[in-house]
Amino acid sequence: MSTLIALIIVLAVLMTIVGGETGIRSFFSVLINTLLLILVAMLISWGINIAIITLIFIPLKLATIIYLGTHDYVVAKNSFISAFIVCLLVSLLILGCEWLAQAAGLGPEAGEVLVGLSQMPGLSYPMIAVTVAIFSTLGAIAEAAVAMSSGLLEIKKHHPEITRKELEASGTSIGNDVLGTAMNTILFGMFGSFLSLFLWYFRLGYTFGEIVNEKLFVNEALIILYSLIGVLLTVPFSTFLLARGMSNENEVNNEDRKSNSN
Amino acid sequence: MKKIKTRYWVALIALVVGLALTAITYFAVGIYQKDNVAVITDTQISDRLVEKNKDVYANEDQTREQVLHIKVLDGKYKGKTFKEKNIYYPSQLVTQKYRAGQRIFVSIKKGNLALGNPKRDWVLVLALTVTIVLMIALSGKHTIALLVSMALSWIIFYGIIVLDVKLNGAYIILLFSVADIIFSFISLLIVQGFNKKMLATWLATLLGVFVSFALCYLIMKLTGESEMKYETGDYATQDPRGIFLAQTLLGVLGAVMDEATDIVSSLYEVIQVKKDITPKQLMQSGRTMGQEIMGPLINVLVLIFVAEALPMTILYLRDNNTLGSTFGFTLSLGVTQSVISAISIVLTVVFATGCSLLLLKKQRGEN
Repeated sequence: MSTLIALIIVLAVLMTIVGGETGIRSFFSVLINTLLLILVAMLISWGINIAIITLIFIPLKLATIIYLGTHDYVVAKNSFISAFIVCLLVSLLILGCEWLAQAAGLGPEAGEVLVGLSQMPGLSYPMIAVTVAIFSTLGAIAEAAVAMSSGLLEIKKHHPEITRKELEASGTSIGNDVLGTAMNTILFGMFGSFLSLFLWYFRLGYTFGEIVNEKLFVNEALIILYSLIGVLLTVPFSTFLLARGMSNENEVNNEDRKSNSN
Repeated sequence: MKKIKTRYWVALIALVVGLALTAITYFAVGIYQKDNVAVITDTQISDRLVEKNKDVYANEDQTREQVLHIKVLDGKYKGKTFKEKNIYYPSQLVTQKYRAGQRIFVSIKKGNLALGNPKRDWVLVLALTVTIVLMIALSGKHTIALLVSMALSWIIFYGIIVLDVKLNGAYIILLFSVADIIFSFISLLIVQGFNKKMLATWLATLLGVFVSFALCYLIMKLTGESEMKYETGDYATQDPRGIFLAQTLLGVLGAVMDEATDIVSSLYEVIQVKKDITPKQLMQSGRTMGQEIMGPLINVLVLIFVAEALPMTILYLRDNNTLGSTFGFTLSLGVTQSVISAISIVLTVVFATGCSLLLLKKQRGEN
């Protein structure tokens, strides 16, 4: 049995034990999410318009991550709306920055890996860079949205009479923790992803000035920043949406009670 | 009200300073050790089609030629203007198209000019400015801790790379394990301060990373690491297997820390709000939170690890490789790294909830 398959089986078992039904659904959300990424690669390689594919796959991937990954409908709905709005905003930012930075294509090792591969694939790599950046940030945004919504709902559950103001205060408090550590997920994820590149820079004696102008480094650092900006925007959006949704709910309940007493 | 106002004022000041720094970086000359800075003086670059190409995979592309007039801004040739041709393919996989008025790097040897990277550092400064301004506006004072933590992470990361190169890749797993312990302690200390909540989070993080890494390592050994194509790792300058394991140890740390913090601090809030909560209720709360968080969190890492390989994957598929062989060449290591990270994330739910129980006990003891 190949190592990858063994690891996947262990993961599935653990997710079922720890997560129960939600765990199983989360497992499939991860699986589908990965397959969707591969599908994106295939569609782009067939020459279909990259911008259109990206626009279609943003909500598709968000829905996969959020709706399949969480079992609470209120959490899911709030997370999806705030994540989607934030994703569109961040996409605009990415388009602008990628245009300015011109950091598309393969990095300095290109000559070595490209043996036997086409150097003129007839695809717009600047556009592909935008797509990659958007998909890299999308996960962080969805995660922050879910962490915010589920944290707030958990407080609400244990403290049903909480006022909107108190909830917003709790939101800021949770938001700060989510922010501080979302930063770690993103930063270390990227460190872990690009460790070999950094070793390469170091061993080949790149100067600081060269590194901060180098395509792949700039791309990576920008993705970290896009993700942070996405997470930052998600915190107030989620709190606002949930607080608003809740106060409406309370009013409706109160009205129900009133009409019942009448 | 007053507090909110100061926060926005500080954000505004940060914006002005950031934009000034962006401009300074944009116009910076003479500070780069190896290359010279030059500016393209054309207002309209002549850009002509050399030929239309069709390669063996039936990919259609073009070869285009730009004629650039370049004025060198620093170094020995300062003030001199060169005329240079630049061949590029519009797909820009390995070639670069230059823009009118752009600042670029050039290296000049014996009067011959070679085109280099466009200047990109100022875009980083600009994006960093936007991030910091937003952070100040939304998070206030908290920003300082976040920025210090981020800067420290980069510094420690740099130190570890120096150390790894010194050791020439030996003891790489030990090195990155120690790095994980230091990284997590410092990050959590800065963000949360030194208290029992932070210690509980730290304990949960370490258990999450190392117990699951040991488990995955065992599975890899038991299955004989079959079909692990370490040699497909990019930029391998030392033993690729060691690099892969180090990347895995480092890559998952942030996510596990994130998750442990989310669960422990939310449960801590719950303990504050509802003083009479039973351990069983708390465990149930922790499990519910964990269930909600683990799926999205695993997806964050999957997206980072797999999206990174997307440009190469697209190229392989474009060149008529089968999905199977493309997967083996470009995706399998990233996917394996994702799965190992996912296992850590799932196990962390258990450890984080367990460590929160310690907090509850402490609080009971104090009351």
